[in-house]
Amino acid sequence: MTTLWDTTGSAVVKELAAQRRTGGAVMSGVALTLVVVADEGRVAEAEQAATAAAEVHPCRLLIVVRRQIEAPVPRLDAEVQIGGRLGPGEAVVMRMYGRLGLHAESVVLPLLAADAPVVTWWHEAPPERIARDALGVIADRRITDASMSPDPIAALRTRADDYAPGDTDLTWTRSTPWRATLASTIDSVAGRRGEPVRVLGGQVEGDPANATARLVAGWLASRCGCAVPVVPSTRVPGPSGIAGVVLQLDEDEEVRLQDDRKGGAVIQQPFRPEAVVALPDRSLGELIGEELRRLDSDEPYSEALESVTGATGLAARSADRDHVWFDPMRPEQAVEPTSADADGPVLPSGAAAPAPTVPDVPGDTDEVTPDAEPAAPGRRTPAAKKART
Amino acid sequence: MATNPLRDPRDRRLPRVPEPCALVVFGITGDLARKKLLPAVYDLANRGLLPTNFALLGFARRDWGDVEFSELARSAAREHARTPWREEVWERLANSVRFVQGSFDDDNAFDELAENLAELEGSHGIGGNAAFYLSIPPAMFPTVLKQMQRTGMAESTPDRWRRVVVEKPFGTDLASSRELNALVDSVFSADDVFRIDHYLGKETVQNLLALRFANTLFEPIWNGHHVDSVQITMAEDVGIGGRAGFYEKTGAARDVLQNHLLQLLALTAMEEPVEFSAEEIRTEKLKVLRAVSVPADMAQFAIRGQYEQGWLAGQRATGYRQEEGVSPESTTETYAAVRLGVETRRWAGVPFYLRTGKRLPRRVTEIALVFKRAPHLPFAPTDTEELGHNQLVIRVQPDEGVTLKFGSKVPGSVMEVRDVAMDFLYGEQFTEASPEAYERLLLDVLLGDATLFPRNAEVEASWAVIDPLEEHWATIPPQPYRAGEWGPRAADAMLEAEGRQWRRP
Repeated sequence: MTTLWDTTGSAVVKELAAQRRTGGAVMSGVALTLVVVADEGRVAEAEQAATAAAEVHPCRLLIVVRRQIEAPVPRLDAEVQIGGRLGPGEAVVMRMYGRLGLHAESVVLPLLAADAPVVTWWHEAPPERIARDALGVIADRRITDASMSPDPIAALRTRADDYAPGDTDLTWTRSTPWRATLASTIDSVAGRRGEPVRVLGGQVEGDPANATARLVAGWLASRCGCAVPVVPSTRVPGPSGIAGVVLQLDEDEEVRLQDDRKGGAVIQQPFRPEAVVALPDRSLGELIGEELRRLDSDEPYSEALESVTGATGLAARSADRDHVWFDPMRPEQAVEPTSADADGPVLPSGAAAPAPTVPDVPGDTDEVTPDAEPAAPGRRTPAAKKART
Repeated sequence: MATNPLRDPRDRRLPRVPEPCALVVFGITGDLARKKLLPAVYDLANRGLLPTNFALLGFARRDWGDVEFSELARSAAREHARTPWREEVWERLANSVRFVQGSFDDDNAFDELAENLAELEGSHGIGGNAAFYLSIPPAMFPTVLKQMQRTGMAESTPDRWRRVVVEKPFGTDLASSRELNALVDSVFSADDVFRIDHYLGKETVQNLLALRFANTLFEPIWNGHHVDSVQITMAEDVGIGGRAGFYEKTGAARDVLQNHLLQLLALTAMEEPVEFSAEEIRTEKLKVLRAVSVPADMAQFAIRGQYEQGWLAGQRATGYRQEEGVSPESTTETYAAVRLGVETRRWAGVPFYLRTGKRLPRRVTEIALVFKRAPHLPFAPTDTEELGHNQLVIRVQPDEGVTLKFGSKVPGSVMEVRDVAMDFLYGEQFTEASPEAYERLLLDVLLGDATLFPRNAEVEASWAVIDPLEEHWATIPPQPYRAGEWGPRAADAMLEAEGRQWRRP
């Protein structure tokens, strides 16, 4: 592991390349780059989850922590890890201070694995508009978590307003075990009858303020074409927000699923004895692992989201976003000031803005990605102080 | 399966889950059941891939109650499970575990089994569906199958399915495998018979199909114009363990060559299936197996060997004839290497070298396509002295993955070309994601997906390849090789005769 203090993006690129060379047998098959945007307080949690996911899906892991946007001098600290704490692959944890946080993509872009998809995951309250974060604009798939917002249901509405194909939310991922159990219960009814089953109505019992419960109800409604409300339950629901689901079927039948609070669900269906299936709580790492399995757009999610929020035409929206300039310190500003006439911290324009710049050394120019063999191995950035551990 | 509004083909997060069913395992106290089947059942349950109504029935001679059996199953599953242990998952599973005690010729025991199954239909809502896993020696098959026929357990009706899972060996030669197939097919319908070749459950083997048929890169060179030869190796470092009785009668060719190696050959050489379905894939594999030719000069191109005492991995290893339970004059082979041909337009003239053996230096299974050398090299002969054949190697185990070997310039002021390897590693770091072969195959049986199971015609076509070899070998004693060597000298001579040599895996 190497830590670079007060460094630059190109020094990080070089360090990654240097570690790849000296690291011995380094994992070579990288399927994607996972960019994690996390609050300082949640970095450890995000690291753990991303590492678990990286074990299942080989990826390059870039963790971006934005701190103290108001700091007068931009600064980058980076920790380069190969085959260490952060799993078998390559990982970089970057802490960005000051206005560098608004230009995080300038550091991240050269670090992306060549020609591999990019997934950005916000392990913090989701951004109001993904287009305002350049790290979301460069991603092929964007993972938010509405449950981290103070009002998850409002956050879902925001997600629907802002939706573009390729967006997904962990509150939806958390619904998979429930949805799988519901689908296989209906399978077993259909298997018994030997003919199609229609769902005429139903309700989700649980916490109406829980986004996962709402999405399961929305999904049922969108699949069955009937209203499925979330009603408060008398029992306190688990983390999925669902204590039970009741579905009214045709032929006057009913199925009922109930969380047994022991990591399982009890299924009651006509003509069959009560059955219990496992419904274990999954770790954040497992959730991210599930998200990384597929990188295309998730239509069932967009339909469930439509059904919850009343928005329409989500799937037909363009999957591409254009970056919209947004400065949390000056929310009224529509474009980034381009010269020194801006008040506050003075910044040169363009991407590679932050302070200690790497002096141009011959042979450095085409070292853009760590995949390219640098012409001058072993050269260290003079400006960067570093500590090896 | 009838229509379910909650199923959406675009919703790929929801797993494929079998219909409610029971799994009946004969020989549940055996090694395979304890080390592979029970853990696989637990892993499936843990991943939420078992149906909501599921029951596990064990049948064996041992005098046990449900409780003792449940305890054994628990410790076996816990010890060998791939996924983390969750007590609550097991408890749920344990509720539906039953044990039936009896011997296979005991009518009462089978009546009890049938009753148990009927009872579970009601109490556990398994809907009459059941898969029977015959984890027993093939000699017992007739008895068990007749019992199942007698009790009517084997009948599939439109309301319920009944399937049977058979382990290798599927017979000992063409005649006996025909007999066995006829027997199994007389009790179960052909579609309900699943023959397990656990190699086909391995992720890399399935990846071979993806590699070949999902890419444009390899197809144009996947033929005799570009491929010089194909080497398929399955080497084991272990000896015969405690299986002397079985192995003495079987030998390497029947144990490995007939099934695993010929299946790998079929997957490597087959044409593109019309669609990725069980029927179409099996059709293409069968065509290849039928096109396999044995060498005319068997003395040169069909070699078998037997290991002698030697050193392996720093330890002394006894010779095969000195192993416990093995006759001191045994002529059973522990190594077999053969040059086969595939008589199709794509492969005519390309030798397929297959080898397998025990007590070889390391455990490895791989398929190597060795390409022809470039017709013309514009370099000085001295520049390319270290350039070998380009190779594409599919590593089945361990280190599942793909290696591409090609020539590259050695950095420096002179032109020098040397072989380098480019690696794609499938397993190792990511083993957590790839299910055990048995887990995958068991799930496929319960789902009724036969893609990864050879059909009886394939088994028979494979025996048709092995029989002439066995006939030739019957009179010739196996060639000795030291434990810890890559097989007998004659096997090296076999490739040298054609100007080639074995790849060291």
